[in-house]
Amino acid sequence: MVFVLFALSILIFYLTRGLLPASTALAPYINPRIGDAGKLSLARALGVATATCPSYQAFASEASGCIVPLWGQYYGWLMNVLTGNWGFTLLPGIAGTATTWSVFFSRFPYTAELAIAAAILTIAIGIPLGIVSATHNNKLPDHASRIISLGGYSVPQFWFGALLQILFVLYVRVNGAGLLPATGALTTTCAICIANPGQITTYSGLPMLDAILSLNFAYFWDSLVALALPSITLAITSIGALTRIVRSSMMDVLRQDYILLARSKGLKDSVVIYRHALRNAVLPAVTVSGLLVAYLLGGAVIVEIVFSWPGVGNASLAAADVLDINFLELYVLVTALIIVVTNLVVDVLYSIIDPRIRY
Amino acid sequence: MNTKKPVRPQNVLTVKNLKVTFHTYAGDVKALDGVELSVKKGELLGLVGESGCGKSVTTLAIVGLLPANAEIVSGEVLLDGTNLLEMKKDDLRLIRLKDVAIIFQDPMTYLNPILSIGSQITEIIATDPELFIQKLIETRLNQIEAMQASPSGLDNESQAERERLRYASNGNRLGRKDLKRLTRLYAISILNSVRLPEPEKVFKMFPFELSGGMRQRAMIAMALVRRPKLILADEMTTALDVTVQAQTLQLLQQLKNTVDTSVLLITHDLAVVAEVCDRVAVMYAGNVVEVADVEELFKNPLHPYTQGLLASVPRIDVAVKDQTSIKGSVPDLIYPPSGCRFHPRCPRAFEKCPVAKPTLFEVSPGHHVSCFLYGE
Amino acid sequence: MESERPSEADRFGRRADLKYSFYLLRRNPIVLAGCVISVFSVLLALLSPLLVNPSSWHAQDLNLRLCWNNPMYNWHIANVFDCAGSVYPLGTDMYGRSLSNMIILAIPIDLEIALEVVVSAVVIGVIFGSIAAYVGGVIDEIILRITDDFLAVPGILLAIVMIVVMGRSLPVLTFAVLITWWPFYVRLMRSQVLSEKEKPYVERLRAMGAGATRILFKHVVPNSIYPVLVQATLDIGAVILTVSALTFIGLTPSSLLPELGNLSNQGIQYIFTAPWLILFPGLTILVISLGFNLLGDGIRDIFDPRLRR
Repeated sequence: MVFVLFALSILIFYLTRGLLPASTALAPYINPRIGDAGKLSLARALGVATATCPSYQAFASEASGCIVPLWGQYYGWLMNVLTGNWGFTLLPGIAGTATTWSVFFSRFPYTAELAIAAAILTIAIGIPLGIVSATHNNKLPDHASRIISLGGYSVPQFWFGALLQILFVLYVRVNGAGLLPATGALTTTCAICIANPGQITTYSGLPMLDAILSLNFAYFWDSLVALALPSITLAITSIGALTRIVRSSMMDVLRQDYILLARSKGLKDSVVIYRHALRNAVLPAVTVSGLLVAYLLGGAVIVEIVFSWPGVGNASLAAADVLDINFLELYVLVTALIIVVTNLVVDVLYSIIDPRIRY
Repeated sequence: MNTKKPVRPQNVLTVKNLKVTFHTYAGDVKALDGVELSVKKGELLGLVGESGCGKSVTTLAIVGLLPANAEIVSGEVLLDGTNLLEMKKDDLRLIRLKDVAIIFQDPMTYLNPILSIGSQITEIIATDPELFIQKLIETRLNQIEAMQASPSGLDNESQAERERLRYASNGNRLGRKDLKRLTRLYAISILNSVRLPEPEKVFKMFPFELSGGMRQRAMIAMALVRRPKLILADEMTTALDVTVQAQTLQLLQQLKNTVDTSVLLITHDLAVVAEVCDRVAVMYAGNVVEVADVEELFKNPLHPYTQGLLASVPRIDVAVKDQTSIKGSVPDLIYPPSGCRFHPRCPRAFEKCPVAKPTLFEVSPGHHVSCFLYGE
Repeated sequence: MESERPSEADRFGRRADLKYSFYLLRRNPIVLAGCVISVFSVLLALLSPLLVNPSSWHAQDLNLRLCWNNPMYNWHIANVFDCAGSVYPLGTDMYGRSLSNMIILAIPIDLEIALEVVVSAVVIGVIFGSIAAYVGGVIDEIILRITDDFLAVPGILLAIVMIVVMGRSLPVLTFAVLITWWPFYVRLMRSQVLSEKEKPYVERLRAMGAGATRILFKHVVPNSIYPVLVQATLDIGAVILTVSALTFIGLTPSSLLPELGNLSNQGIQYIFTAPWLILFPGLTILVISLGFNLLGDGIRDIFDPRLRR
């Protein structure tokens, strides 16, 4: 597992440091007022410039003998990073004022909230829809849910988000304001938003959770309302995918002989479907959960941009624009960590559900 | 030879003129064409026939578990007088729970692989605990009495339990924990009665951990726990080794006597029939063509198909080239032969056979045939 | 009386199989729609240079920007510009170009990228996946580890980093999407070959002395490739979605480029004042990817041996 993280960090590192001019490596650590000599010593300290490099100009023009080979640079970077030094952020507007680490983790809870909400929606809608589809094969509920499922994973997320915004902000208007807010995790204007939800104390960083813990239900409601459109947009594709998987594996399972036996024992239909069929049918769905988590985290980038959601996805684009590599590295590594952990959890879950795997 | 109990005259099951058609892409398969069958109370009726003659379809039709593309065109299925085909789905489910149990052919595919054996038995009881509660209490009380008789006597816990159970057996409420424990103990006792070694361990095991014979016994246990009026055993022993087969059949016979149930044993193996059955029915291409007591059938087969069947059993004293078989092959049920479905292969067919359809009638006491050779 | 029996040829053989396939196709109108849509979009892509002047996307006319004069629909928004002159069926974009023309120009660009990515991914996946599965051992481990790494990152992130570093151009875009796509195919092919190589005929071929390469590429691969092809058809739509998402967030070579995601990028800025700018390009993406998804699903359903009887 750790191997994956290392490999990824190496991949990104080589990709970026290798293809970009060496002086960009200094950007996160630099204080704009230091002179060339200061820059050169900084470059040496970071492990990018060799000790024998004569001047900053030579270094900046990448004269031979001045640049440490990439694996050496990686080592220098790694040492910095492992001690928690990710440099200062380059994001426009706050460049140099905060560390990459703090900027990332102050924005991350919003992305997490969005992803978790989307995950909950995916499971809560995808599984029942798939079951209904399989048990009413070729009848109206099946056709309807296949259309939803198909539409779900064919639709461009940014378009769907925009469509929802147009519908609920522009067209469905109550008292002059759109029904739901167009942007942001905190309310701007919307018809069902509360005018002044008040303050919350930060326990976990997740706004909705903190609102509950602070017993500020007005804030909770506003957060929920703001979360509605973005989370539906993010979830739509994975709902489509999950419904399809559950449907096809349920159909497979329902054809099995042990379902016939279960029915012949006089068990109630609901018991046959949930205890016998579904338990066998979720196995393929569980296997694919790691991919779904990856998909949600990736899709968050697009959704955050469409809805101006103050999460890391939004910031990552700005970071890419200004070549804030440390930010992107951190983003990639955190996401990879989450996905790898999810896969581990999935493996454990799998062996709990299917006793044949344990042996 | 088998020990026979004197059979009482009423019928547990009567199937009258059952016609079932399957609608498929290739056409309408007329699988059952007027099946007539009856199982007397307490007997073991064998149902013989080649693969594809409609034996399994009959079983599924009886309990209402035919697939979606099947249509029951006509007929009656009377279980102790009630027509199952006219029942509502929920009532039919209760019949499956209480009265009619099916034991299927291949225990590997018919057992849910991710649920333990024990839970696949206890879920039956959990479906409607009221039905089973007397039996549960009775079994546990007997166990406690046995414990009392033993040298160590009865400890306080069991005494308290006995009081609670006696209270509950008068129609009063039984606690949830008690119910769970009773269910488990009852399931284990059933596993014991089908001669599974170490039943407490088997209770927790999963199907893939058991051998074929053990799995089949577990299936029998699932049938027995309900104490049904009728057991439909669909090729129960076909997937088993010969020695295990013999043991399983023996078990079935013993249980039939102790639990007082009737059995419809479906098989294509005549040796099995000869071993355990009281009466036999022979099926061909969706019709029952002959019914008789076992000895009578083997001594005096009347229908040409039965005769051909018995004659084609390989014998050790007859050379391979001299073996007889029934010429031709099983008919296409989408376009079945007209009149008697056996006539294209029948060595004694005559003018009437392709024209009219014969029905079962009694030739001698207890011996029915469906063939124009014997009248009608 | 014997009823009329169908002939042998009607029941068995290639002609019968084909008839059965068409029967299943007819019974499934949704799949039929998918076939029609995908064929239509490919045709449109091929005919596009004939319908619209291919260099017309360079021409800007700022007097006509963001206007709508199609009488068939009224947006009920204040201050919608009315275009002078001929009717623009889908309005104009922020550079004053006809949106319908831009969409027609964009379709072949997107389809071409999608085709390139999918074909390359299939080739890479088939080669590396089958080698990994067949040879096993260290090579398998290495390939597995590498694909694991790539699968642990959301594709979009990796693509963003690559495009930012390597420059914004269509080839780089294609390459970036390909890099995030190939691991799936390697894994898919690998699992197919893993189960295929256990089949008895492989052992027989080995006993007859056939070399590993020959067995692998002449026998095992053709038998295992079917799900990969189905997945490839489905992925054409998915790649278009990914590519348009990337251009949507601004990773295009030029903001004038007629590309469905790029057009939507403009649309987001003017979402409440000129909603057609984002609705129609997005709708086009939806329809095209829907068509290919239906097609892929349909192929799978119709030819799945378990569902055919």
